[in-house]
Amino acid sequence: MVETTQVRPSSAAHTPARTPWQWLNREGPLGYLLISPALLFLLFMLAYPFVIAIILSLSEKRLGGPITFVGLENFTDLFAMKRFWLTVQNSLVYTAGALIFKFAGGLALAQLLNREFFGKRIATALVLLPWIIPTVFSTLAWWWMLDPANSVINIMLKRMGLITNNLPFLVDATWAMSSLIVLNVWRGVPFFAITFLSALQTVPEELHEAAKIDGAHAWQRFWRISFPLIIPVVIIVVLISTISTLGDFELPYLLTKGGPRDATMVFGLLSYDYALGIGQLGIGSAISLTMLPFLSILVVLSLIQVRREN
Amino acid sequence: MKQNRLRHFLGLLLLPYLPLTLVLIALLFPFYWMVMTSFKSLSEIFDYTHSPLWVRAPSLSNYVFLFEKVQFGQWAINSLIVSVSTTAFSLFASIAAGYALARLRFRGVTTFGLIIFITYLVPRTVIFIPLAQVLVQIGLLGDLGALILVYPTFLIPFCTWLLTGYFRTIPIEPEECAMIDGCSRVGAAIRITLPMAVPGVLTAGIFAFTLSWNELLYALAYVGGEASKTLPVGLINSLAQRDFFNWGPLMAGATLGSIPVVLVYFYFMDNYVTGLTSGAVKG
Repeated sequence: MVETTQVRPSSAAHTPARTPWQWLNREGPLGYLLISPALLFLLFMLAYPFVIAIILSLSEKRLGGPITFVGLENFTDLFAMKRFWLTVQNSLVYTAGALIFKFAGGLALAQLLNREFFGKRIATALVLLPWIIPTVFSTLAWWWMLDPANSVINIMLKRMGLITNNLPFLVDATWAMSSLIVLNVWRGVPFFAITFLSALQTVPEELHEAAKIDGAHAWQRFWRISFPLIIPVVIIVVLISTISTLGDFELPYLLTKGGPRDATMVFGLLSYDYALGIGQLGIGSAISLTMLPFLSILVVLSLIQVRREN
Repeated sequence: MKQNRLRHFLGLLLLPYLPLTLVLIALLFPFYWMVMTSFKSLSEIFDYTHSPLWVRAPSLSNYVFLFEKVQFGQWAINSLIVSVSTTAFSLFASIAAGYALARLRFRGVTTFGLIIFITYLVPRTVIFIPLAQVLVQIGLLGDLGALILVYPTFLIPFCTWLLTGYFRTIPIEPEECAMIDGCSRVGAAIRITLPMAVPGVLTAGIFAFTLSWNELLYALAYVGGEASKTLPVGLINSLAQRDFFNWGPLMAGATLGSIPVVLVYFYFMDNYVTGLTSGAVKG
């Protein structure tokens, strides 16, 4: 056993420093020195742009043109636009749909993997692959798999005689949104499953043994013992994934480009469209900032959870 | 006896093997389809008289296309330059910050930790327009340098968070012993703690590299010109035009772009799991 009663060397640092080197070796100065590259960089490259975003959202600004202050006009224009509200609705449907299935699927898959069996290591490794392979490349594969005229799924279903007409994966509004959600879930489930699995593995075996003796069956043991113990991990994973799904750009951009007829238009895509498509940086910024109310709630919840854990 | 064995076997089939096989087929089919397509000739890709799931006449023509008809090699080099340099810079800043946040007590340390965590949560879609303005001010917009400057904005928060979590799992006693023996704090951190943190640093580096290799939004928005495209942008812009999709070369490019990541993943698998559990989640 390690003796824990010894005096912490850091308390010695309170003696006055005689040389710059000694001064630097005190916790305070060293702490500020070590954290400053990261902090200053983020200040200049994230906090400063964030201020610019607010200014832009209150201005009329075209690509390469001057900035003219217009107050809240961008926002009132947006709120009067049907397309904007459709975007809000789509983003929420996309996020909620993807999260529900990632959560349920991740939990089921984690539970499936949380046992000893031959080939467990390789199975776990393969499960994580969709999350490992760069999104851009795997989404290209999905795009090709769901291609309106040449979808391999349609071809196979037709060959098996299960359908006569092509399923309209990316052509019909509901199908397109469902496809997008399926793609997001396909990519996210492995991450959920592996993090849930590692949390499940920390649940003491004795608790299960005791419950077994008391006559609790597997379903009860999972919901009454395992699940409550992994809730902290579940909350954090769900919150972070909600934030990144809400702000997603890559999947919808690659799979549907927001189509058909804006059926999969989400925040990230709409603001990209305005900024780079039409060159309206002001409205583009306003669109991304309308994500903030949702984001702040999620960020605050995550902060509370993280602080509680520390 | 024999019946028991049969029941045991059937039980295993039911849980986990049968459902696991179905899940794995669903999870892996897109990659299978990607690789299969990449080896098909143009005529075979659109030939539905046979089952499309297998290649009848494997050909490397799609891969040849990538290097002869478009600048795939150049895009890969660009991606490599950006990924390596941003990973190196981000690791440097994040090791320092992560160590300070995990080990040192100074005024504001909790606040700094929270700030970094918040920046980790900011979606790129919120910040990409004003960041372009910053790049204009610096004069880097349109250049590969823009990406090198911008990628650390999401890599540093991620790596710092992961490394802070990792540093917390390293016992503090060895460092304290070294300091009692007369080693300076900086010396002890570099000689004792840093070597113990190598697995965490490796994990952060792998994730950072993959994240940069994978990035699309900034690369799409900030860099123009055929010669300075990154791999994802090059593939999409040059091969997936609105009127005609070059599915063969597109899938060949996707396969080649994925291979490095997959190799690294299988080689450093344990680091991935450590990263997912000790750093990114508990941190």
